Amino acid sequence: MSRAATKQAAVGAGVLLVGLAMAGGATTISAEAGYSGVGPNFLPWVVAVALMVCGAWLLREAFSGGFRQADAPEGAEQGHWRGFAWVSAGLLINAALITRLGFILSCALCFMLAVQGFKSSEGAGALGIKGWLFNAAVGIAIAAPVYWMFSQLLAINLPGLTSTGWL
Amino acid sequence: MGDIGQQLLQGFITAGTPINLMWALLGCTIGTAVGVLPGIGPATAVAMLLPITLKVDPTASMIFFAGIYYGAMYGGSTTSILMNTPGEAGSMVTALEGNKMAKSGRAGAALATAAIGSFVAGTIATVLVTLFAPAVANYAVQLGPPEYFLLMMLAFCTVSSVLGKSTLRGLTALFVGLAMGLVGQEQISGQMRYTGNVPELMDGLEVVLIAVGLFAVAEALYAVLYQGREVETQNAMSKVHMTREEWRRSWPAWLRATFIGVPFGCIPAGGSEIPTFLSYAAEKKLSKHPEQFGTTGAIEGVAGPEAANNAAITATLIPLLTLGIPTSNTTAILLGAFQNYGIQPGPQLFDKNAALVWALIASLYIGNVMLLVLNLPLVGLWVKLLKLPKAQLYAGILIFATVGVYGMRQSAFDLVLLYGIGLLGVVMRRFDFPTAPVVVGMILGPLAEAQMRNALSIGEGHWSVFVQRPVSAVLLALVVAVLLLPRLMRWWRVRRLQVAGLPS
Repeated sequence: MSRAATKQAAVGAGVLLVGLAMAGGATTISAEAGYSGVGPNFLPWVVAVALMVCGAWLLREAFSGGFRQADAPEGAEQGHWRGFAWVSAGLLINAALITRLGFILSCALCFMLAVQGFKSSEGAGALGIKGWLFNAAVGIAIAAPVYWMFSQLLAINLPGLTSTGWL
Repeated sequence: MGDIGQQLLQGFITAGTPINLMWALLGCTIGTAVGVLPGIGPATAVAMLLPITLKVDPTASMIFFAGIYYGAMYGGSTTSILMNTPGEAGSMVTALEGNKMAKSGRAGAALATAAIGSFVAGTIATVLVTLFAPAVANYAVQLGPPEYFLLMMLAFCTVSSVLGKSTLRGLTALFVGLAMGLVGQEQISGQMRYTGNVPELMDGLEVVLIAVGLFAVAEALYAVLYQGREVETQNAMSKVHMTREEWRRSWPAWLRATFIGVPFGCIPAGGSEIPTFLSYAAEKKLSKHPEQFGTTGAIEGVAGPEAANNAAITATLIPLLTLGIPTSNTTAILLGAFQNYGIQPGPQLFDKNAALVWALIASLYIGNVMLLVLNLPLVGLWVKLLKLPKAQLYAGILIFATVGVYGMRQSAFDLVLLYGIGLLGVVMRRFDFPTAPVVVGMILGPLAEAQMRNALSIGEGHWSVFVQRPVSAVLLALVVAVLLLPRLMRWWRVRRLQVAGLPS
């Protein structure tokens, strides 16, 4: 079995598992039907069974020559996981710190990490201190006006480092 | 007729206030930018800006969102003509001839025919929306829950099986979307489903989160993983100008394409991929210069698809406004925007929110004029956007993704979920699953469920309610046809080849 087929089989198995999990959840939903004859658990069961069938079918396709009518994936054959790790770190650190550092600084940090990730996937090595500072400045220059627009003009609460609404 | 004129005039008065004109201009500008930039499309942009529905009044924000929606179609053509990668899906066909024209030094003419064609088609399509939407709404008032349920089923089937290449992967995507729609409080009895007692999940998943995750975050993650080494090349610009000959060849293409595009936008067969391909094929067949197709670039091949694209996009507003049925990613998110205001698009919209609807329609006329100005004399400005370095561009998109998702519910939990949805999007793209069914399924799923249960209540629990009513029986037949016909045709073709003694 080729590597591509193994990956496709994993996707099919994943869909199958989601279907099973949905079915597990559906057993806990009440079936009380009222006039219509179908209760709140009807659609969950339909979705669960459909996902299981789709998953099984995807598995079958994967084992019998691969997904049908599928384009070859766009881009490189091998993923650039180091760049991916940088961008992932940016997004998750942003989620973890946004309430503590405030929107502007947390997003600027995410921006810096993401740029580093993209640069490394483009083949450039680690950015120097100058590059990091430059990206920090650009990140703040993007995040700050967005923050002010939301907090000052639209009065939508975004977290700040201070409670002034400016930082 | 007089009635429509009166209401449209009222719409122009509402849309013509300085503040609404400003929203329209802002929408068109952001839309064009979003269309030009890779990595972000109209659906993502509208989704990221959904938090403004918390504060801005509905008329202004719908005008704004509509501007982004069709502005992106204008901007998309610029990228697909000047770069070797199309800006958004509907512009893929434009790229075929547009790129060839640009390579032989006629980028300016291609840009001109795209922009003017978009204007012509968009305006004609808007006239058709003006004339027909009220009629459709009038008729749709008579439809009951069984008919609505089947219309939604039709939308599900077409969006998942007609658009993509594989029905199996389309349906898988649809059911993933439906599963997402199940999370949270159920509409009829108010029961909690699939919340796992996580308080953040009680209100359900936000459409912003799903759309931004699947489109923006997934796009960024995919680009960093697989597309870092791709080098993009840009074609040389030339003066934005069409010769008399080019005008003569563009006109018929624009008109034909408009009438190909509009019907496809109206029916729930969603998106603009099919009409743009049809228009391209028609122009290639009818052209007096077939030798230019695929070689030096034929102007009809840009004029037609670009006009068809805009006509279809404008016409998707008919099912959205009159039936409440979205047929594309962006209209699905527009439906979400309406829902944020507690407005349910559908036939009653033309009665209950007449002012809003007509202001929105009037703004389409105004927006098309604005976009013509933004895209012809100012095209050089947008071309500069193409020079933005990719790393900073994608990283910037992530900041906007954060503000859109966080601004909606102020929850850091949503940001973690956003990352998860982004990963899902990467897997879907890598294995060629379509994403539109996920978004449409998620938004339309809960509505379809409510309609189905109401329909069954009318039928006192009997499923026969779906075949006893004439309109619903016809719709049911259509659903079956959409699912079976392509399969039957393929089977028949294979059989015929076998009968003829050829290998299939």
